[in-house]
Amino acid sequence: MASKKQREILLDPLFENNPITVQVLGICSALAVTVKLMPAVVMALSVMVVLGFSNVIISLIRNYIPMRIRIIVQLVVIASLVILVDLFLKAFAYDVSKQLSVFVGLIITNCIVMGRLEAFAMDNKPWASFLDGIGNGAGYGLILIIVAFFRELFGSGTLFNIKVIPDWFYQHGYMDNGMMLMPAMALITVGIIIWVQRSLMPGLTEKE
Amino acid sequence: MKFDRNSNIYTFIFTIILVSVVGILLASAYTFFKPFHENNIRQEKMTDLLYTIGLDKQKLAEVAKAKGLNLSYKLIEQYFEKYFVKQIALNEKGEEVEGIKAFDVDLKTEIKKPASEQVYPLFIAEKDGKTYYVIPLYGKGLWDDIWGYLALEPDLRTIAGVKFGHKGETPGLGAEITSKWFEDRFIGEKLFDEQGNFVGLDLVKNLEDKANKDDHKVDAISGSTLTCNGVEEMINERVKHYEVYFKKLKNQKNK
Amino acid sequence: MELLNIFIKSIFIENMIFAFFLGMCSYLAVSKKVKTSVGLGVAVIFVLGITVPINFLLNKYLLQPGALKWLHPSLADVDLSFLTFIMFIAVIASMVQLVEMFVERFAPALYASLGIFLPLIAVNCAILGGSLFMQQKGFTHLSEAFVYGLGSGIGWLLAIVFLAAIREKIAYSNVPAPLRGLGIAFIITGLMAIGFLAFMGIKI
Repeated sequence: MASKKQREILLDPLFENNPITVQVLGICSALAVTVKLMPAVVMALSVMVVLGFSNVIISLIRNYIPMRIRIIVQLVVIASLVILVDLFLKAFAYDVSKQLSVFVGLIITNCIVMGRLEAFAMDNKPWASFLDGIGNGAGYGLILIIVAFFRELFGSGTLFNIKVIPDWFYQHGYMDNGMMLMPAMALITVGIIIWVQRSLMPGLTEKE
Repeated sequence: MKFDRNSNIYTFIFTIILVSVVGILLASAYTFFKPFHENNIRQEKMTDLLYTIGLDKQKLAEVAKAKGLNLSYKLIEQYFEKYFVKQIALNEKGEEVEGIKAFDVDLKTEIKKPASEQVYPLFIAEKDGKTYYVIPLYGKGLWDDIWGYLALEPDLRTIAGVKFGHKGETPGLGAEITSKWFEDRFIGEKLFDEQGNFVGLDLVKNLEDKANKDDHKVDAISGSTLTCNGVEEMINERVKHYEVYFKKLKNQKNK
Repeated sequence: MELLNIFIKSIFIENMIFAFFLGMCSYLAVSKKVKTSVGLGVAVIFVLGITVPINFLLNKYLLQPGALKWLHPSLADVDLSFLTFIMFIAVIASMVQLVEMFVERFAPALYASLGIFLPLIAVNCAILGGSLFMQQKGFTHLSEAFVYGLGSGIGWLLAIVFLAAIREKIAYSNVPAPLRGLGIAFIITGLMAIGFLAFMGIKI
């Protein structure tokens, strides 16, 4: 169904051109929701939806947007989609939406969304733009979920709120690492992910 | 057809179309989703209140399952109305204020007014022939607001159950105030002395005698002193205002 | 006293970067030189100090449930809160534009140093984040919102200048190749955030 080029558009942002670790986009709104896996997964899905659909919409109307108010039009489209997502979460996933609090709203200023609109959707066809949006959203979500996995596992000893570290460990002196729950550890975890990724893909190393 | 995409007229028309499309879309989405959202808020409040009188959600779900029902919003509302027989609001002198339902009082805004202008909501519940008095709480934790509900036994001095909530306390430390093991520490503690004078609670770290329920002391969570101080302050500040009313109730009963 | 509390809290304890990771994109991109990072930091303070109070008024008199009561009593039931995001971002985008024009016209020297950063700021999460947190905190007075905006901006400036200073030094260190640049910046920021934990719980 999908041609080779389309598959590339979809899969490239997952690793080689990952928005967080390579493009340095969209770190802002999201690390704060990586204390537990559940909110991280919901956040990742929300970003994918917003990114995919805003890319399609902008791509559809790209030939009609007045250049002078381009940025505002993009912001309006993104903001409306985010409001829809926010309303949806409040109605059908209330508990998670409370944990995400203002961070759903901050998807608006997530640089990934604006960045992809400018760089891709403004001069590509809708279907390719959609794949690009979903791919970038997924690449971003992947990092979120990896960070959240480690933070929840070592910080609370749970995954999706289910205890995974057996009681036997605790009886023999194992303790959850409260430090993992602090914001600081999210940054350090991302740093380590970058380290691992760049060791595996030496081409990405920065020259200074 | 080719447009001049940079002309003022075109920009203007484009803006108007965009704004109206977005406006209509968002307004209709909002009207569609709003009832679900409001029900979620009400449901959370009702389950919290039911929890304080010993009816936690799991228990209710089991009861419902035995009858072949799902624990839906409707059912929770039914349980709530069954057990919570009366809702009142008091003023500072312990008199009932007419026309205000405790459920509708927004403590967050109420608490900012001076004490003499506030209303103090109170829920009265009946379960197994016993009358419980449930007081909503609101205060400040370490990072942000904390809140909760506190149920008193029919003797008007012993805690029957509490339920706490928080907005942004430290995960794993202060956020643990919403855990069952912490909330259970409050059960049986006394807030008033035998004459009905308010004494309050003291949250102490590494409390020696945890089993003593008459010393007005509760074991705090180590590592989250400031959140626990917030909880202590919140309980003491809020419950104090009900002293006058409870004394009146006691006198009526003794007569 | 309350104002001072909000001020200190928003700079050190609820630091935009160390506690909420807001504005990370430009934070990491611009923090290679102290001089440029001071420029961006000042611009952030400026814009936060303007947009947070404006959005406060907007929220109070337009968006909150029942906020339209001052227009006509019959409008007391109108709830426009679902428009929050779109209104806030519109205010921010247009204010940034306006500020840019003003600065260019009346303070060309300032424009020369701030100019390139201003358009960047419209999509800086810290700016929208400031307004959203302001709404969530439910301030009652304009002054509180103003102080909060200012404090958050100063906190952001501190964070970016500190990081830039460290990065200037670290250019001479022997960092493992895969960690160079972005990776080490993340880890340094993490360590700085741990340092800032020391401020936790300060009350005035």
